[in-house]
Amino acid sequence: MDSHLTSDRVDMDDNETTTKFIVNGREYSLKIDNRYTLLDILRDHLRLTGAKKGCDLGECGACTVLLDGKVVNSCQILAARIKDKDIRTVEGLSQNETLHPLQLAFIENDGGQCGYCTPGFIMAAYPLFESEEELSTEEIKLSLAGNLCRCNAYGSIIDSVAYALEIKTNE
Amino acid sequence: MSEQSTHTPAVGTSYIRTDLEGKVLGTAEYTADIALPNMLHARVLRSPHPHANILGIEIGSATKLDGVFDVLTPFNVPEGKVAPDVPILDSRVRFVGDEVAVVAAVDIDQAKAAIDLIDVCYEVLPFSTNVHDSLNSASFPIHSEGNLVNGGPLIESRGSIKEGFDQADYVVEDSFTTPDHHPASLEPRAALASWDGTRLTVWKPSRGIHADKNILASALGLSPNNIAVVGPAMGAGYGSKDETRTSVMAALLSIRTGRPVKLELDREEEFLAGRRRHSTYTEIKMGLKKDGTITAVHAKTIMDTGAYLSSGPGVVRRAGQGILYLYKCANVKYEGQLVYTNTPTAGSYRALGAPQGHFALESLSDKASEILNMDPLEFRFKNHVGPEGQPGERTTPRNQIIDTQPVEGGVPFSSNELRQCLKLGAEAIGWDRRDYIENAAGPIRRGIGMSMFIYRGGPGGQSNAEISLDQDGLFTLNVGFMDVGEGSSTVVIQMAADTLGIPPAMVRINGGHTDKTPESPMTAGSTLTFSAGHAAMQAAKDLKDAIINASLKLIGLGDSEGLYLTPNGVKSKCGESISFLDIVHNAGPIKTLASVTPGSKDYIVNSFGAHFAEIEVDTETGHIEIIKYIAVHDSGRIINPRLAEGQVRGGVSQMMGFTFLEDMEIDPHSGVALNASFLEHKSPTIMEYPEIEVIFADSIDPIGPFGAKSLGEPPCIAPAPTIANALYHATGVRINDLPLTPDSVLLAMKNLL
Repeated sequence: MDSHLTSDRVDMDDNETTTKFIVNGREYSLKIDNRYTLLDILRDHLRLTGAKKGCDLGECGACTVLLDGKVVNSCQILAARIKDKDIRTVEGLSQNETLHPLQLAFIENDGGQCGYCTPGFIMAAYPLFESEEELSTEEIKLSLAGNLCRCNAYGSIIDSVAYALEIKTNE
Repeated sequence: MSEQSTHTPAVGTSYIRTDLEGKVLGTAEYTADIALPNMLHARVLRSPHPHANILGIEIGSATKLDGVFDVLTPFNVPEGKVAPDVPILDSRVRFVGDEVAVVAAVDIDQAKAAIDLIDVCYEVLPFSTNVHDSLNSASFPIHSEGNLVNGGPLIESRGSIKEGFDQADYVVEDSFTTPDHHPASLEPRAALASWDGTRLTVWKPSRGIHADKNILASALGLSPNNIAVVGPAMGAGYGSKDETRTSVMAALLSIRTGRPVKLELDREEEFLAGRRRHSTYTEIKMGLKKDGTITAVHAKTIMDTGAYLSSGPGVVRRAGQGILYLYKCANVKYEGQLVYTNTPTAGSYRALGAPQGHFALESLSDKASEILNMDPLEFRFKNHVGPEGQPGERTTPRNQIIDTQPVEGGVPFSSNELRQCLKLGAEAIGWDRRDYIENAAGPIRRGIGMSMFIYRGGPGGQSNAEISLDQDGLFTLNVGFMDVGEGSSTVVIQMAADTLGIPPAMVRINGGHTDKTPESPMTAGSTLTFSAGHAAMQAAKDLKDAIINASLKLIGLGDSEGLYLTPNGVKSKCGESISFLDIVHNAGPIKTLASVTPGSKDYIVNSFGAHFAEIEVDTETGHIEIIKYIAVHDSGRIINPRLAEGQVRGGVSQMMGFTFLEDMEIDPHSGVALNASFLEHKSPTIMEYPEIEVIFADSIDPIGPFGAKSLGEPPCIAPAPTIANALYHATGVRINDLPLTPDSVLLAMKNLL
């Protein structure tokens, strides 16, 4: 954590609680301001900036992460709700230098243009990759319907996710 | 020669986008992701009034608040300008959301708290939220020059429309409107500025770092040499992300406080203080002979530029180009008016005015073909502009480059495969069956429609590129343009690599920093493949010569004849070779800089295309479902098919928002934007994404780099008229006002009964 980012903060002791949580397998215990959202904590405190602030209103999906394995808009999760939770962000997908198959699939199928929505889409697709079920294109689309891409690279995003699922099945 | 061709060309292959890995890993850095030590956070106070004079601002309580470092107001900022009609801050506010004051504080919460403590005394002025009210002579002027920009319309014409209409057997006319269409890029505007006492560094989403540097210099009264602009990854902008106060305000706060300052707009602010596509009202008229020949085209467009001018003059001009040039016709006239209103500012947005102009023109063409009792496709085959260009006399002097938006006749195109596009699209959609579609009983009606377009083909301003063979035996392409997500860096690498005769993986790209790159045009007007491509090719050619010359001595040959580059180094016909590493170790790194102004003195360089759609209309709900969508483009040679296809599919889907959904609504009584959020400003999601088949015409442009022409914006031009024409075919209802919402479809059907 970069201490300079919080050193100046105006004293908000009344609102702060020490909270324990796990991000990408690493345990944190932080004194955090209860007014902050999980997205702010990830971006400003942990400097994990893969999740983006596209609207801060839960309308665009650019901040999508996993909370105990469930897809959430991290801008809609208040700090108080992450106590003892297991959080996974896009930064936690690749292992050492090896990309996750979903990440590879997005590269192979040109699943991103400006890339601002890409981490959110990949995290929204993650449970599909983990699922044992065989999914139709329509089901893939439904699972990603909460994420906006203003470049409208939707065709390549569908291709990317379908490709990742196919690779997994064939393995 | 045969030995030299052992290199596998990269041009024409789907080489993987060079910057995608960082984007999937989440490590690609966007402006808002960057943090500096001791950084302050800024927040803007915005006007609640659509039009008002600021008589005074009380900032005492705000500045006394803990952690507040500075407050900018119209009364304490320097006199510089961000744009000709936009001071750094102004004592007149012109739309709800206009900047009034800016606070810099230790964190965003303190900045917001300080904003609440600022007391502004406004003198509220009369306002107008639409062009018709603004043009009323009794209307209050929004700028000192009045509400009609330049006091009159832009007029472009060829031949005499009076003669043209006199020759006509029929005249067909109509009027059309298009909505305030917001790009709403997912990344809101942001800027981070850092002043070190002598030099300013600004990080911002940018489509032209060198142009942004000059804007900052002129606004702040600094020498451009004392400014560096850095363009991190950009969450897109589609042309819209410039000309705003954001970076200038952050820079000024940093200079005044001596600390780095970050200003991030929130989503609502991005809607209000960003830039939207100009809404338009167009009256258009076409003269026709009985045999279908077009004798005259005349259109008048009124565009709403909102509170400020931005790139309005360019947009209003481009809206006329289809009207002036898509159909072979001796007598054409376009008049474009640009009007101020007290609404958020309109500016550049992918394809500028072309979608608006083509919506009117291509809807009217379908009407014309109906009057002639002619198939709409046959009407286009008969009248589309051909490779020979327009009738008339060339007016550009022979020694000058032909404009990519010409009015004159007598100049041929460098390439024009519009006819091929029409044929390929008709085949792919199955146009032959159009007259025989049978609708089953029930509410669903099926229809097929099409439209075509013309657009500038890529030549832009002067473009520079620098390329080097480095110490590690690899190459670096040093360029000042910005890849804003369209993939220009990837295609430019492909072109440079092929010119050198080496694999693209051996070429790195370095960009995004004004100190480290030569000047380049903005990412605008679909120019990069063409302009930056030519510059990179020229630099690569020069580098190749320089490398061969350097290796002559090293190999011990007296003549460069027969030397060529391979992935391993320089080789001679006789089998001598030297590796790139050995070359740089002996001769040092080699660097070349090329400067080109691409274009042609003999030909118009334009891109073309035709789109076709088959749709189903539910006559009970007004819902339109796209069954099949075919986009055929003549963009010359395609450098990277996968990226090109992505541009077309994305562009078409983006314009489904314009066609069906998106309209930024301004309350006429208060000037307040009613839907400045993603929830209320509905955009296409993955659920609305239709299957889009992309076809590239077989075309190689003799002027373009590797035969390529423009592609970034062209996909956005034809979707709306294509769907509107299909709707008419399906139902007999022609809707002249976008977007084609279920409500408007139902209402139009009701009126038909």
